[in-house]
Amino acid sequence: MAEDLNWAVGGEAGDGIDSTGKIFAQALSRAGRHVFTSKDFASRIRGGYTAYKIRTSVDQVQSVVDRLDILVALTQRTIDENLDELHEDSAIIYDGERSWEAEIPEEMNAVDVPLKSLAEEAGGAIMRNIVALGAACEITGFNVEYLDEALEKRFGGKGSKIVENNKKAARAGQEYVQEHYDLDHLGYNLETTDNDYILLNGNEAIGMGALAAGCRFYAGYPITPATSIMEYLTGRIEDYGGHVVQAEDELSAINMALGGARAGARSMTATSGAGIDLMTETFGLVATSETPLVICDVQRSGPSTGMPTKQEQGDLNMALYAGHGEVPRFVVAPTSITECFWKTVEAFNLAEKYQTPVFLISDLAMSVTEQTFPPEAFDMDEVEIDRGKLVDDDEVEEWLDEEGHFRAHAVTDDGVSPRAIPGMTDGAHMSTGLEHDELGRRTEEEDERVEQVDKRARKVETAKEKEDWDYREFGTEDADNLVISWGSNEGALAEALDYLEEDGIDIRVITVPYIFPRPDLTDEIEAADDVIVVECNATGQFADLIEHDVLTRVKRINKYTGVRFKADELAEQITAKLSEEVPAQ
Amino acid sequence: MSSDVRFTDFKSDKQPTWCPGCGDFGTMNGMMKALAETGNDPDNTFVVAGIGCSGKIGTYMHSYALHGVHGRALPVGTGVKMARPDIEVMVAGGDGDGYSIGAGHFVHAVRRNVDMTYVVMDNRIYGLTKGQASPTSRSDFETSTTPEGSKQPPVNPLALALASGASFIAQSFASDALRHQEIVQKAVEHDGFGFVNVFSPCVTFNDVDTYDYFRDNLVDLEEEGHDPTDYEAAKEVILDSDKEYQGVMYQDETSVPYHEQHGVTENMSEIPDGAPDDAMDLVREFY
Repeated sequence: MAEDLNWAVGGEAGDGIDSTGKIFAQALSRAGRHVFTSKDFASRIRGGYTAYKIRTSVDQVQSVVDRLDILVALTQRTIDENLDELHEDSAIIYDGERSWEAEIPEEMNAVDVPLKSLAEEAGGAIMRNIVALGAACEITGFNVEYLDEALEKRFGGKGSKIVENNKKAARAGQEYVQEHYDLDHLGYNLETTDNDYILLNGNEAIGMGALAAGCRFYAGYPITPATSIMEYLTGRIEDYGGHVVQAEDELSAINMALGGARAGARSMTATSGAGIDLMTETFGLVATSETPLVICDVQRSGPSTGMPTKQEQGDLNMALYAGHGEVPRFVVAPTSITECFWKTVEAFNLAEKYQTPVFLISDLAMSVTEQTFPPEAFDMDEVEIDRGKLVDDDEVEEWLDEEGHFRAHAVTDDGVSPRAIPGMTDGAHMSTGLEHDELGRRTEEEDERVEQVDKRARKVETAKEKEDWDYREFGTEDADNLVISWGSNEGALAEALDYLEEDGIDIRVITVPYIFPRPDLTDEIEAADDVIVVECNATGQFADLIEHDVLTRVKRINKYTGVRFKADELAEQITAKLSEEVPAQ
Repeated sequence: MSSDVRFTDFKSDKQPTWCPGCGDFGTMNGMMKALAETGNDPDNTFVVAGIGCSGKIGTYMHSYALHGVHGRALPVGTGVKMARPDIEVMVAGGDGDGYSIGAGHFVHAVRRNVDMTYVVMDNRIYGLTKGQASPTSRSDFETSTTPEGSKQPPVNPLALALASGASFIAQSFASDALRHQEIVQKAVEHDGFGFVNVFSPCVTFNDVDTYDYFRDNLVDLEEEGHDPTDYEAAKEVILDSDKEYQGVMYQDETSVPYHEQHGVTENMSEIPDGAPDDAMDLVREFY
């Protein structure tokens, strides 16, 4: 495990915490360091504690841990909220001139920097957070010049004067600490490398995946934590001739996306669980009209309004079962930020190849976390587009019945029918949420009903055979202990392996990006002595599926505090769980 | 697009199951004729229908069509038009679909001014569910769910459209075939959201708003010399609840449809067979 540094800035929502953190994360990335960020925030525009945390190392980092080394505290609450993670070598940067009196445990290193005064000298009090960044650079032996590029990126649009002032503010903070404190004994010294990394979050990866996959139409309704997908696409999708519509609600959003898809565009909508509740109305229509549509759910804590800015993986059952009647669908759940990109591309292909709704399930932790990657992790040459049985004008003729009607729901061996889109000569046809015949016209004939239900089910069977529904694997393949998980827990699990290894515990980790269809884990589970399923929900929705699939009992680690798993915490819980008895059959 | 398209080309070979005498027959005929007259053909036309008696129209017409869920026809039409500005989009629904379960979408579709035609077959009753009050039913109209009347004023869809910033507001009567067709045709030709509320009598469940009632009470705005480009005059007729008007009430001739305002011009169904050529630029943005 490489040496890591854990840094945070915290204050009131509205204090510019996010942008301050992002600037530091970008500077670290520019310096060739890996970064993994997380956010603590409350659902308020202003007021309430919020923090941006960065874990950084020269090696890849993919989880948060329970340790904080450098804290920029704009409020006392920031210190109080993080006391458990602070230690005697922690440095806490604060502004002693502010009205609050900082209470910092004696054993820690209080670094009192007149942030506001120094910022005012540099050109404006608004830059006090940048002064703090400069101070942090000095404590961590990190060249303040690395901040410059990040400041240019952030403030370049506001003119060179603003950029210069910010650079000045950063240096003021750095010099103040240099003159007034000697913190060399803390031993923080951030190494740099020549590597070039990009820094992005899961929602940006989904948005970029959509553009790479040829998504041209997006309709959505703003909702935390999915909105940033819509914001990413807005202003970029137009470059490819596409468009984003902000709908009046989620009922409308999914129907607009459905319209776009029926017109032939690769279309998508994204929301969170509360929006999925509304969209559920239209799931059945998407499936029976055999419309290729990607529906993204960035999960947050529920039920109802729940904890809207907190992590949870509680929508798995909804993704699998939502909608009345029996709705064929695919459920794909990326397990990392790079996978957010690749699984989005795959979701568009699955949707068109099988003319079936695809649920792309992400979660809040992944959506707000910014992580560094080499740009090759998103190699656009690797992107493949498969539009399935989208016919051309000539092929339309092959699919007409004796009277010249296009058989849009033709019963075929693989269950997939030809797809004609508006503008194609002789392709005009009807589609409906009613049960229908091959031409898309309403029927209640028993034979036709059974034929169409079977045909739609057969598409899923075809996909099960033809597509790759594999799991991802980490750790020791022949270990006796098997840990299974899904979604954003993968990073914390991968790092927990290192902690467990130090304690002499070998683990095989399997993460499953395909919820339906999903890989059969019978052999893997039978080969293991201990099986633990890890997920961020209270009831163990994925564990239930595994037990159902394999007809066995598994141990469960569930977290539903609203906070993602941390690597060290997870290692401890796995260790504890291994010594427990397996639940009764 | 062929120039010899006849309106019957828009007719499917499914026989309508509407009650004999239903206003929807006339409404649909006018729609088909308006589409043919404006140079459209079934292969470049997309008809979206909601749920209710009106919703069956997609089955009886021949074109690309989607018969969707209750109340959401306008969002579907919006999606089709955004993806394919080259396609003629016509949305059909009833008073329940448009002004009750879909009322929220109506307001926003109107203000978005998407270039499509919205034909509402307003029979002032829920027919498919066998006679319950609709949002346009009279307040004293007795139905199975409102035995003493709803005691609520009916929605004025024209006023709702006006308040939402409509660029084209019209009303027609299904039985006045020629005028109905003319009015729908104007809505199709309008650059923006062409809204037509059609009196489409239900002969089975509404014995108040009948053919005879409309024949006796209909006032044609064209005969009255109404100027649809005059907003104040439009406001007056739209808010006049004493009369049943036919004609184009309001048309903003400077209307620019949504897709043009947003620079949407391309056929979005056409995409490259891999990531776009410059896609690595998207990655490099994150440096």
